[in-house]
Amino acid sequence: MSIFLSNEIIVFLLIELILIVLMAISQVNIVSIVRHWDFDATTPLQYALEKKNYLVNTILYFTVTCKVILFLFFIQSLNSLAGIVPGAMCSAGVVGANHYGNALLLLKLLLIFGFGLWLIVNKLDLSSIIFPYLKRKYLLFTLLFIGVLGEFILEILYFSNIPLTVPVFCCSVVFQAPRLPFGYTQTLLVLFFYTLFGVIVLFNMLKQTMASFTCNLLFLFIAYYAITYFFGLYVYEMPNHKCPYCMLQKEYYYIGYLIWGSLFLGIFFGIMPFLIERITQKSYVYLLKYSSICLTITALICSFYVVRYYLMTGVFL
Amino acid sequence: MSKIVIQNLNKLYNANKPNAFYALKHINLSVEEGEIVILKGVSGSGKSTLLSLIGGLSKPSSGEILVNAQNIAKLPDIMSSAFRHTEIGFIFQSFNLLEGLSVYQNILAPLALTKLGKEAMHEKVSRAMQLVNIEHKKDQNVGSLSGGERQRCAIARAVVMEPEIILADEPTANLDKENALIFIEILKKFKALHKTVVIATHDTLFGGLDCIDRCVLMRDGELLQ
Repeated sequence: MSIFLSNEIIVFLLIELILIVLMAISQVNIVSIVRHWDFDATTPLQYALEKKNYLVNTILYFTVTCKVILFLFFIQSLNSLAGIVPGAMCSAGVVGANHYGNALLLLKLLLIFGFGLWLIVNKLDLSSIIFPYLKRKYLLFTLLFIGVLGEFILEILYFSNIPLTVPVFCCSVVFQAPRLPFGYTQTLLVLFFYTLFGVIVLFNMLKQTMASFTCNLLFLFIAYYAITYFFGLYVYEMPNHKCPYCMLQKEYYYIGYLIWGSLFLGIFFGIMPFLIERITQKSYVYLLKYSSICLTITALICSFYVVRYYLMTGVFL
Repeated sequence: MSKIVIQNLNKLYNANKPNAFYALKHINLSVEEGEIVILKGVSGSGKSTLLSLIGGLSKPSSGEILVNAQNIAKLPDIMSSAFRHTEIGFIFQSFNLLEGLSVYQNILAPLALTKLGKEAMHEKVSRAMQLVNIEHKKDQNVGSLSGGERQRCAIARAVVMEPEIILADEPTANLDKENALIFIEILKKFKALHKTVVIATHDTLFGGLDCIDRCVLMRDGELLQ
């Protein structure tokens, strides 16, 4: 059986293809809009471009929103694929089935952040009469579209290289191999996690957008490793189960969605004000407040599992 | 001070198709604040198209429509709706009332989109009803009204937001002479209130009225005088 015949992959790739076609149509129109745009002109060409701009915005708003939702479907599909990929017990096995998986996941995450940024810039652009960010918005979209094309190629490579006859490595290997990045210890990771979390909240309170942007990017990686290699152990209540995906499953009450969701949202709100300032010169510092709230939720949930385990057993893992 | 300035306005339908035609050609028109202007012309001369462009209901193919010095043809759709809601009062030939609702509810409808309190809304609705003399029918369903009453209800709805500009498309086309004269009385009240009014009509009743400042003749999408 080919993996391309599984329901999830058929649906996923079909939607991806439709969105890419819609984006390509928009991209063709974007080129003509950006080339001839002169808002002050009252010529037939300019009015035609304004109509075209409205159409393109509507298509893009729809496709970009769909891409964000499709990301969640992708995560869900990975979980479902664990049933047909030999050796895979959860998404860890499916993602790690070949070396395209993790790159694809990272690219998807970056694109989601990019689409979020685009939606905000688009909103700002449409709320003004003169479309002040039109060219920048479309330049940003062009970059994202290139990313989407790369993502699609990576998806095809990834799915076509998932072995269905040879067992893949999954949590079984993750169990045995505590591979911490840069030779960090668990203590150091946790220390970094809480310190960086505190620093971000402080910068957010002081409305330091650039500092918050930098720290949030750093926190994305630190938090990933801290959750996978430390907090995850307390979620699973197993000393060697180092998996970022199993917590998304029913057995763990889908708590992973809340942990990763609040983390990614917190990071998103933390990095956006700086980027929006760069693109539009508009202040969006109020988003930093949401960043603090989301990251606090992440930290509280993670800490809860550790404290609960300690109270129940009297020891740390 | 000019309330409405139209410069080199064109409206082309079916562009790039064999049946393309200009509904409006090189229109230049200026309407002063408080002025009442009649657009006269036979059916198909472009009167209604011009009104819909002034009201932001559709976009031109080229040219400018400045209302309060702002080119409304450039407004994004969402702002265009807000502009129509606050700045323009429309009176349609077929009234376009919300069937099944009472006179009061019909007049109240535009205010439902505002953040006004109940008292303020009631006051505005009452004022609008007084202006057109339809208070005695306020609880009646609009379906049971006569043609003249329906039109007065539509006028009250058009003015309830207290717009500075009122656009009327063939306002007397569906009325008998008695009700058409009532409309003219209301027009005089608009004049007294210093409203800017543009009326598209081919009704000869409007000729020679004191309250009318200007008559503009249209033919084949062009302004003749």
